Amino acid sequence: MQKRIASMLAALLVPALAAAAPVKIGIINSMTGPQAPIGESLTNGMKLAEEDLKAKGIDLQLVWEDDTGKPQVGLSAVEKLASRDNVVGIVGAYTSAVTNAVAKKANDYKVPLVNPVASKEEITRQGYKYVFRVSATTEDYAAILLDMANSLGKAASIAILNENTDFGVSGAKSAKAIAEKRGIKVVFEEAYSPGSPDYRSTLSKVKAASPELVFMVSYVADAILLMRQSREIGLSPKAFLGAGAGFSTDKFASEQEISNAVFSSTQWTPSASWPGAKEFGDRYQKRFGKVPPYHAANAYAALMVMADAASKAGGDREKLAANLRAGKWDGIFGEVKFQDFDGYQGQNKHQMLVEQVQAGKFVTVWPQKFANGKAIYPFPGWKK
Amino acid sequence: MIVFLQSLLSGVLVGGVYALIGIGLTIIFGVMRIINFAHGDLLMVGMYLTFFIFTLLGIDPFLSILVSIPLMFLLGAFLQKVFINRVLNALPQNQILLTIGLGLVMSNTAMLLFTSDYRILTTSYSSGSVSLGGLSISTPLLLSFLITAAITAFLYWFLLKTDIGQAIRATAQDRDAAQLMGINVKRMSVLATGLGAALAGTAGALISPTYYIYPQVGSAFTLKAFVIVVLGGMGSIIGATMGGIIIGVTESLAAVTPFIGSGLKEAVVFLLFLLVLLFRPAGLLGKSRM
Repeated sequence: MQKRIASMLAALLVPALAAAAPVKIGIINSMTGPQAPIGESLTNGMKLAEEDLKAKGIDLQLVWEDDTGKPQVGLSAVEKLASRDNVVGIVGAYTSAVTNAVAKKANDYKVPLVNPVASKEEITRQGYKYVFRVSATTEDYAAILLDMANSLGKAASIAILNENTDFGVSGAKSAKAIAEKRGIKVVFEEAYSPGSPDYRSTLSKVKAASPELVFMVSYVADAILLMRQSREIGLSPKAFLGAGAGFSTDKFASEQEISNAVFSSTQWTPSASWPGAKEFGDRYQKRFGKVPPYHAANAYAALMVMADAASKAGGDREKLAANLRAGKWDGIFGEVKFQDFDGYQGQNKHQMLVEQVQAGKFVTVWPQKFANGKAIYPFPGWKK
Repeated sequence: MIVFLQSLLSGVLVGGVYALIGIGLTIIFGVMRIINFAHGDLLMVGMYLTFFIFTLLGIDPFLSILVSIPLMFLLGAFLQKVFINRVLNALPQNQILLTIGLGLVMSNTAMLLFTSDYRILTTSYSSGSVSLGGLSISTPLLLSFLITAAITAFLYWFLLKTDIGQAIRATAQDRDAAQLMGINVKRMSVLATGLGAALAGTAGALISPTYYIYPQVGSAFTLKAFVIVVLGGMGSIIGATMGGIIIGVTESLAAVTPFIGSGLKEAVVFLLFLLVLLFRPAGLLGKSRM
């Protein structure tokens, strides 16, 4: 009896809901745990997107889930969002490790997933039909840095040091492939386990290999630790190249003693010439008191794209996926279009940038078209 | 060669701090036969204390131990009196549950109060170094090693020469006999836990200039401390000192050994640990109870 009443009520309610058309979207992000400092930037970016979408008249309902930086927690978040909250689509997650797990699950549930900023190549290379990625891939991270280094002076050798997470390993693999293609000899290559208090022995091995470029892939705190210890042991190559993440945070830049002249690949800066980028930067700064890192812009763009496509899908997941596949968006993140190419599916081709820390501030130095400053090269050495 | 020496050196310096963590754990175990699984979390509390003393009061992390040692001692003594004392004669699994629980309460309280953000202490010497014949020695690491050495020496003197120290050692050797000889074993337990907590807090203070601080930082160190103590022999202070240095050096050298590298250095540590246990089940300096 109860069931029948419920189904009758549901039958009455469904058309009413369709008329109001709320757009219910799930969000998976690292809100606590070791990745929380960057997760916070994603949250902030999405909050700004939420305001803009509501201002546009879209009745947006966000369901926030915290993955605590762990893939298994991300998986249960997908299950909850897909079956209990019944969201039309999901935006997330932050790290590559979590996203890799979440993407598979979302694809199994046929819930469209738009990923903001995880860059492990394989995520969009597994034939998933419901996974779309705004973020550039680690291949792009490495390529843009090496292109920039080549433009400043042909480098002969490179050392690659990465943490042994999905993002780190993928980043190192791409860097190696691209370095070999450009004729730069890889003289050192190693994965370290994050969270160790002492990287000095590894770094002295790097020093002994005397590479001209040192390429590192690390999250928040290790980036600072690695650079501090590089200074201690006097590792001084022609350039330090950081693959985004830990190297492009405000905290890193504010450690002037060790961050000066370090390059980092980034997906976005407020000075990029995309429509609204500068305004977004100012608004973010005013609201949260920080210069937005690229993670915030990625998250903003991902939610804008998802909500726009979802508002035209009327709660239908298949229709949403079709909208995402067919659509094209332009905004603070440049053009976003999900394409199939080179073995990728649903992957956005994004223009990467290179920034450099100069006196505690990030300056965009490459490509020329987007640059707002000149690169310091070679690395000026450590101040004693 | 220079890579080898450099690694050996930083291994010894890091090992010194590990030793300090191990000694605290071993003293608590020796006196009460309780493994303190909250040890890493005490270290975390020490790190936050140092962080706030430095950022709010502007006191140098290495000087701040003068403040944090007594505070951590009081915290340890409080935990013993209020909680641990009640499970002294309980089943071992209950004791383990209690200390793990205390650790969880501490780390989650820290998360509530300070969020899970990483905090990094930046001092003028954070990335400074002294060079010595081609080797570079990290200034903060060297300072912390010297302080560790001084504290360890003082501790040895205290335990070997003073009456209270001897009473602590007597309790560790045989609790019942010590009680029969008129030693107040309850007081010794409070003292030992306080001492252990103070040492963990000091270790936290000493690594904070070169490491980062977050609420869950403790668990990695609890595990490390446990390995150090078992390796050296449960309850043996000399054993814990040796264990700490051995672990530090092994980690550091494993990272530069061809085909092993820094990703696998922890595996090497645990392999060594298993080997030691295989041939000396009571640890390097432990007395077998067989």
